[in-house]
Amino acid sequence: MIRRRLVVSASAVFVGLALAGPAVSGSNRIAVTVDRTAISTSLGHEFSVQSRITNNGGSAASSLVAHLNVLSLRPDVYLDPEDWSSHRTRYLRTIPAGGSVAITWRMQAVNAGSIAVFVAVLPQNGEPRPPATGPTVHVSIARRTTLNSGGILPLALGIPALLAALSVGLRLRRRASD
Amino acid sequence: MVAVESTARPRAWAVVTGQELRDLWLGGRGLLLSLAFSGLLSVLSYLVATNQALNFLEQGESVNLTLQVAIAVGAMLALLAGADAISGERERGSLESLLLTPVSRLELTAGKLLAALSLWIAAFIVTIPYVWFLGRGIGIVGDALATGALVGTLLAIFLVSLGVLVSIFAGSNRVSLSVSLFVLLALFAPTQFPTNAQQGWAGDLFLRANPLTAGEHYVGKIVVDGHPWSQDASWLVSPIVAAALFAVLAAAAGARFMRLSGNVSG
Repeated sequence: MIRRRLVVSASAVFVGLALAGPAVSGSNRIAVTVDRTAISTSLGHEFSVQSRITNNGGSAASSLVAHLNVLSLRPDVYLDPEDWSSHRTRYLRTIPAGGSVAITWRMQAVNAGSIAVFVAVLPQNGEPRPPATGPTVHVSIARRTTLNSGGILPLALGIPALLAALSVGLRLRRRASD
Repeated sequence: MVAVESTARPRAWAVVTGQELRDLWLGGRGLLLSLAFSGLLSVLSYLVATNQALNFLEQGESVNLTLQVAIAVGAMLALLAGADAISGERERGSLESLLLTPVSRLELTAGKLLAALSLWIAAFIVTIPYVWFLGRGIGIVGDALATGALVGTLLAIFLVSLGVLVSIFAGSNRVSLSVSLFVLLALFAPTQFPTNAQQGWAGDLFLRANPLTAGEHYVGKIVVDGHPWSQDASWLVSPIVAAALFAVLAAAAGARFMRLSGNVSG
C-alpha cells in the first residue's frame, strides 16, 4: 500500500549497501557492482536490480549491512522509498576474502520520472566511515494513466439509477395492488 | 413481522427466511439501502478514476480501496439488519405473535440471520461492476471479486450474528443499534492507527486478532501485492473463528434467551 509520509526527507532515499563489521578495515575492501545502470519502465510496473557485493580484502568481511536507496532526481517529484520496495535492508552473511554475495532488489515503479537507485554497504557497528556504494542505476519511468476514467460516469450514474427505478417500480406495484 | 404456516414443511427456518426476505426486499427497505450503497460506491469510483489527488493510486490500489469500502459498508448494512432482527420485532409489538408460531426460537434466529445476510449478498452484487471497471485490463478482477466474496461473507456472518446477539438482549431497538454500531466503530478504529503502531509483535497480533483488520489486510495482500491465496491464509483465522463463534453464540442465545422483553434497556 502506498503510504504517504511527510517524513520523506529522512529516508532521503539513499539506497546503498554499506559495510560494517570489525573485520572490515576499509570501505575500499568492499566493492558493489550492479547488473545494469539504466532501466526504462512504466509507472506501476515491477523491475529488479541485481547487485553483487565483493570482498576484495585479504580477510573475511562480516557484519555488513546492504541498503537500497531510491530517490528522485527531480525536485518536483515526491518519492517514498518504502513504497518502492518493502525489503530494502539486508544483513549480509560473512563474505570470505575474495568472495562475493549477490542480492536481487525487487521494486515497483510508484512514481513517474527520473529516479536514481543505488546500493550502499556499511558496517553494522556504525563505524563512522563512508559506506561502500555501487554505481547509480538510472531508472526512467514513463507516465501512464493509472486508470482509464472513460466510462465511469455512465456506470456511476447507471447503477444507482437502475436501483432507484427498481425501487420506484416496486413502490408503484405495491400501491397498485393495495 | 413474520407469519408462519402451522405445518412446518418446508423447514421452518426456510419459511422464516423467505418471509423475512419478502419483508426486506418487497417492502422496499433492502432496495433503498442498496441504492444508498451504490451511491456511495459511485462517488468513490468516480473520485478514484478522475480526481488527480486520488488518481496517484496504482490501479490495484484503486480496486483494493473500492473493495474494502464495499466490504466494510456491505457488512455494516447486514449488521444493522441483524441488530433490528429481534429488538425491532419487540418494539413493533410483533414478537409475541412470532413466538407463538410453531417455530423453534433457534429456527427463528437462523431465519432472521440468513435474511439479514442477503443485504451483504446484494451489496456484493452491486459492487461487481465497479470492481470490474476499476480493475479491468490488469488481470485482478477475478481474484479481487473472489477474495472480496470470501472475506466479505465471513465478516458479514460475524457482524450479522453480533447484531442479532445484541438484539436478543437489548431492551429497545435504539440500544441494539447503538451498541452494534459502537462495537463496529471500535473494530474499525485500528485501521486509523499510525503505521508504527501497527508494527511489532503487539501491533501484528492486534491486527490479526481483529476480524475486520485481518480480513482487510488479507484482501490487500491478494489484490495489491498479488500474493497467492495460500501465502497469507493465516490472516483469515480470526474472520473464520469470529464468524463461526458468533453464529453459534447468536443461535444459542436466540434459542435460550429470546424473550418478550429485553434484558438491557436504554
